[in-house]
Amino acid sequence: MSRSRERLQPPTADTPSLATSLEHFRAVTESSRYAVATADSKGRLLYLNPAAERLLGADRAGTDVSLLVAERHRADFQDALTYHLANASDERGGPLEMSVRRPDGTDFPAELSLAGWQHAGDAYVTLIVRDVAERTRIRRDLERIAAELRRSNAELERFAYIASHDLQEPLRMVSSYCRLLQVRYKGKLDEDADEFLHYAVDGATRMQQLISDLLVYSRVGTHGQPFQSVAVKPVLDRVLANVQTAREESGAQVTHGDLPTVVADPSQLGQLLQNLVSNAIKFRAKEPPRIHVSAERTDGAWTFSVRDNGIGIDPKFNERIFDVFQRLHGAKFPGTGIGLSICKRIVERHGGRMWVDSQPGQGATFRFTLPDLQPGTGGNDA
Amino acid sequence: MLAGAIEVLLVEDNPGDVRLTREALRDSKVRNRITVAHDGEEALQMLRREGAHANVPRPDLILLDLNLPRVNGRELLAEIKKDASLRRIPVVVLTSSRAEEDIARSYELHANAFVTKPVDLDQFLKAVRSIEDFWLTVVKLPPK
Repeated sequence: MSRSRERLQPPTADTPSLATSLEHFRAVTESSRYAVATADSKGRLLYLNPAAERLLGADRAGTDVSLLVAERHRADFQDALTYHLANASDERGGPLEMSVRRPDGTDFPAELSLAGWQHAGDAYVTLIVRDVAERTRIRRDLERIAAELRRSNAELERFAYIASHDLQEPLRMVSSYCRLLQVRYKGKLDEDADEFLHYAVDGATRMQQLISDLLVYSRVGTHGQPFQSVAVKPVLDRVLANVQTAREESGAQVTHGDLPTVVADPSQLGQLLQNLVSNAIKFRAKEPPRIHVSAERTDGAWTFSVRDNGIGIDPKFNERIFDVFQRLHGAKFPGTGIGLSICKRIVERHGGRMWVDSQPGQGATFRFTLPDLQPGTGGNDA
Repeated sequence: MLAGAIEVLLVEDNPGDVRLTREALRDSKVRNRITVAHDGEEALQMLRREGAHANVPRPDLILLDLNLPRVNGRELLAEIKKDASLRRIPVVVLTSSRAEEDIARSYELHANAFVTKPVDLDQFLKAVRSIEDFWLTVVKLPPK
């Protein structure tokens, strides 16, 4: 834009006539794919380049330039025109966004750049008109899609929350009464009945666990706290206290490097670290777990690593382990398979990424990034 | 009429929960009698001894579910605590909700305790028995 404006500099004193300068002007603008038009101080259109004639109509010369814009913009356009006529070569305010009238009377969204210039005591304004219908349409589409996505995401989260909450009620009845039967009639029915009841209670208990995990998962999005400045070390200390029993039983040793202060949801950060440390203890190999937590400063973010010497993961499962209720192991490593999904969701809520580097039998290193965030953002109004 | 029995008003619409609560209180150390209201409106009629409920005894303790048809638990709680003749009866909210807003709202409405129904049967029985133990044996209830 600024380049074309330079070419449109008003003629200097050694260029004698307006006609000559118009010739020069024409040469530059004839081939332009932008619509270029010039009006005199009375607002009469003097010249339209071919692109302008195509866009605005071939018979515009001599008409009032302000008729180019839709009626509702006319007063503003007139103001701009008056300003640029009085202030040559001023770039005030950048381009105007206005609806411009096509020859057939319909309007299209356009960007108008105005530049005033003077010759022989007369003021002129040159306009460049760009049809931004496509750009405007794309921008509106994007805004609409983004809003829809946000809405449907929030709705899904609320749905998962409500559904899992409401599912718990009837399930509580099933499991309570199966259990009551089991307790009160144990040994009074035959062996088959005891076995059947065992499976009924077991199934109901597992389903309760799944539903309660789903609730936790959906709460990551719906019940998050605003981000705040939080030192990671005390959070890790609390996590290690929470998993003390598991650490002692497994003989796990947890070490850590320098840990920074980050901007995050403190309780979700704790949940994230606890899931990772618990996993590192749970998926241990024969030797006692050695777990190391560290953080590294990368571009505009902290990258955290939780490294273990456990059973490791076949790289072909690197993506799948983060999916809800995906499990790689049977009864040997009990669980519903939601822990890593919750971790990933927490990281994503903070605008970060999460992945794993591992080989079977060689331990695993789970990494996640926490980009620098503004304290106070990220709260849920849901 | 059980002379000297503690009167409990259980406001609960789910018959399964009514029975579980009865089971939990069945072998109680304290003699108790449970009257059940199936919605908030019925509970208010019982508490005010209106119409068919003229002979319902005044409860010593109210166990209140929050999600009830017609007049819900919150509305009922507000009504009870607004009523000078009823407000001294302790109300224990016994609900499946663990939502913070329900907890806060209940205490704002002067609930005397808020208990989330545990999903596990054994823990449910234990919870109801500890409510019983505390409210029927540990505390001194207000005179009727």
